[in-house]
Amino acid sequence: MVADKGKKPKVGVKIEEEGAEQIDGELVLSIEKLQEVQDELEKINEEASDKVLEVEQKYNVVRKPVYDKRSEIIKSIPDFWLTAFLSHPALSDLLFEEDQKIFKHLTSLEVEDFKDVKSGYSITFHFSPNPYFEDTKLIKTMTFLDDGTTKITATPIKWKEGMGLPNGVAHEKNGKKRSHEEDSFFSWFSETQSKDDVEDVHDSIAELIKEDLWVNPLTYFNNDADEEDFGDEDDEEDIGTDDSEEN
Amino acid sequence: MVADKGKKPKIGEKIVEENAEQIDGELVLSIEKLQEVQDELEKINEEASDKVLEVEQKYNEVRKPVYDKRSDIIKSIPDFWLTAFLSHPVLSDLLSEEDQKIFKHLTSLEVEDCKDVKLGYSISFNFSPNPYFEDTKLTKTFTFLDEGTTKITATSIKWKEGMGVPNGVAHDHHDHKKKGNKRCHEEDSFFCWFSGTQQKDVMDEIHDEVAEIIREDLWTNPLTYFNNEADEEDGDEGDEEENGTDDSEEDDEDQEDDDEDEGN
Repeated sequence: MVADKGKKPKVGVKIEEEGAEQIDGELVLSIEKLQEVQDELEKINEEASDKVLEVEQKYNVVRKPVYDKRSEIIKSIPDFWLTAFLSHPALSDLLFEEDQKIFKHLTSLEVEDFKDVKSGYSITFHFSPNPYFEDTKLIKTMTFLDDGTTKITATPIKWKEGMGLPNGVAHEKNGKKRSHEEDSFFSWFSETQSKDDVEDVHDSIAELIKEDLWVNPLTYFNNDADEEDFGDEDDEEDIGTDDSEEN
Repeated sequence: MVADKGKKPKIGEKIVEENAEQIDGELVLSIEKLQEVQDELEKINEEASDKVLEVEQKYNEVRKPVYDKRSDIIKSIPDFWLTAFLSHPVLSDLLSEEDQKIFKHLTSLEVEDCKDVKLGYSISFNFSPNPYFEDTKLTKTFTFLDEGTTKITATSIKWKEGMGVPNGVAHDHHDHKKKGNKRCHEEDSFFCWFSGTQQKDVMDEIHDEVAEIIREDLWTNPLTYFNNEADEEDGDEGDEEENGTDDSEEDDEDQEDDDEDEGN
């Protein structure tokens, strides 16, 4: 980093060069100091991120038993998740006729962060025995890798004979079906992504389920209930007092 | 919520109705319980948000003196912010020829969150005395309002005579009604962007990308961008240990100029 005074001077440039190199020397020093400050900032930012993660992890632990309790209550509300899905402005478009029939067998939905929160999360759909597929549990998992990409995996569905095709999901192929023209629930579900994939697809449906539907499905369910003329029992104090914008 | 047995039964419907109302009763009960659980979850989520905010506020305080220190170091690097702007893939497009001349007078940049982080932030551009405008500090402020919209205000620039027009910003000093977005579009030039104060509505998903990039990208680590340009211009000083050790993706280009080819 010593200013190099041995450079070959060109005509008329020599004095400028010597002056420039002195300045360059100070400049380089400043840039080094700047780099040190950036390193310091980076450490602080990492510490802040870690602390934020800690908070989120702690509250995930607090939320879990409440979500479990909620799950139990939801079991006594027929077609709860189907109704909530159909009442959600974006998710409703995902359920084709066939999907809706299949969803009559959906008993519960579960969204769960990985323990450390930052590595990813999973969305689990529980089904009662049904004529469509063997599985009772279909899980879609999003894993956030260190390099910033997202790995997406999903339970390969064991379709029963004759099932699966109408949704545009061939029952032989696993994953990597990017047939966006025909986005149905099951075509979304079965789309997977590995780190080798060129395109890092951003799964907005998964995010909607995780951050919107899962957080407060009652808002959406209530909308549908209100529309159907459910509210004759004089429960105006409970239905529709939720603070979501849907209301 | 008592099952009403006094309804006028239609043929074949009586039993179904009674059952339906009993079921409805239980259903309503379940929904009430569900609402209570949602209320409980909401409380928990608010508490979590508050705790996260606390962390962010605490670390903003920790960062401030470091940013101040950084500001001082940057003062000894000529044209630092101009260079960083011009090396940023998105922001470089914002600076018109005229803007670049004006930016030769830019002495420092400051991004500051409101003390209550969720209320908003401001971006300040400090200038040395120059032939373009009277101001030495131009600040653009973003205030997050409760209803989800963002209020944007910006210093009204006191352009000197004959200045401002090339940027598409009318220099009509006397007409104070013409504020903000004049006839220029925010992406046309720096000053068009700066003076654009149209309220952004979160629902419309229109947000000020330039502001966000300055705040979350450039301000966080301007050295990465500055280094890129410095390296492109002939980085012979042999600072391979300092240049390019930053973890930004921009640094891949740095390696080409280094004598030691670490091959990232």
